Amino acid sequence: MKKYLLLAVALLLVGAILVGCASEPTSVLDKIQKAKKVSVGTSADYPPYEYVDDAGNKTGFDIELMEEIAKRMGLELEWVDMPFDSLVAAVASGKLDMSISCFNYDEERDKTVDFSEAYYTTEDAFVVTSAFSGTIVAPEDVAGFKVGVQSGTVQDDWLTTNLVTPGLLPEANLSRYERVDQAALDLANGRIDVLMGDYVPIQALVAQNPDLQVVYHGELSTGPINIVLPDGDTALKAEVDRIIKELQAEGFIDQLAVKYFSE
Amino acid sequence: MDFGQFISYIASGTVYTVGVTLIALPSGLLIGTILALFYVYGGKVAARVMNLYSTIFRGIPPLVLLFILFFAVSKGINLSAFLAGSLSLGMVSSAYQMEIVRGALLSVSGDQLMAARAIGLSRLQAIRYVVLPQAVRLAIPPWSNEAAIIIKDSSLVYALGVPEILRRAQLIGASSQKYLLAYLSAAIIYFLLVSLTTRLLNRLENKLSIPSHP
Repeated sequence: MKKYLLLAVALLLVGAILVGCASEPTSVLDKIQKAKKVSVGTSADYPPYEYVDDAGNKTGFDIELMEEIAKRMGLELEWVDMPFDSLVAAVASGKLDMSISCFNYDEERDKTVDFSEAYYTTEDAFVVTSAFSGTIVAPEDVAGFKVGVQSGTVQDDWLTTNLVTPGLLPEANLSRYERVDQAALDLANGRIDVLMGDYVPIQALVAQNPDLQVVYHGELSTGPINIVLPDGDTALKAEVDRIIKELQAEGFIDQLAVKYFSE
Repeated sequence: MDFGQFISYIASGTVYTVGVTLIALPSGLLIGTILALFYVYGGKVAARVMNLYSTIFRGIPPLVLLFILFFAVSKGINLSAFLAGSLSLGMVSSAYQMEIVRGALLSVSGDQLMAARAIGLSRLQAIRYVVLPQAVRLAIPPWSNEAAIIIKDSSLVYALGVPEILRRAQLIGASSQKYLLAYLSAAIIYFLLVSLTTRLLNRLENKLSIPSHP
């Protein structure tokens, strides 16, 4: 019995420490402006959004975007690499000022942290050649054709879950390619009828190849992505949102998307 | 990226692996030895308290303790990821090392303590000059086991983003898509570290062994 009593006392002590540390009234915006430094978390294992290049430096769409945001806030940017699942907890506990790692909005996450305005919305697109004679009105219509996709992408996942698994699209009619440009080559050669991909790189592809055309685009497998911010910190959110809107208006984000998503 | 760059990128995480081990292992040894002395020679109450300590820390997975220290406790006391990781591993290890030292102390027969007292040594002197030197020798084999465990467990700090061997293997695996090669490289580096350490400790064991003593 004594043992359990001691254990209970120990747990109470830990609890008291946790409660004692919970108050944190000032905005993170004040803190980072005073320090002239912002520490941002990312999980640099998700190309092309965030990854390490051959020299071991962080690079990618999110990385370059965040560097621009920090620059406009007049802050030095300190990257903290952390596995994806630790990032939200690290922002919630104040270990990081914010996190950018291709986060989709999620109700569960919203309980402990806040989200910035979406800085980018990923869309999917279907592209065909001028020789294509079928019609695609709804996305499910592609089930009647030979479809190509980059393997392991969210688009691959969408096709597999919504068309292949229910038996609408025979597995043999779905070709998975290592890279989007290989799929585009097969599309031009007539081995596949339709290519599904992220709308941004698809647009770049169509711009290079006038024989191709987009027949459908929309949010199927993807959606808006946001920066994760401390919970209830309206001042910080307002500042980050303002800069995101500024960058969108200037076309900076679109340029980044072309740079990172069309290779 | 060629293979040499690949390996050297992952291997540069060894600094953190060794760093975590060099904090966790000695701090665990220090705390563990002191606690073990209290456990064995400190009377009934001390033994109970030490037993509780050992039960608690051996019962908490290091990763859980790591998250408690980093995300909860260190909200007030600002601990870096590296330090939070090293300390939580050290705390868990101190419980195991206490049991190792305790076992070694108990293996030195109680008659020796009595004999030492009989020739006029104080209790403290008897422990210091008769029991401890023998116990240290007995503790080395299980202790080298603990050292190997700590080296491998140090990979846990990857969960806080410390760029040690495992985290680096993940990063380079993701950017190059050569996951097998990345994790194999990490495995080889860990294996080399552990086998080197075990070898050094074996040598120490031989060097310290008492001649004509089993």
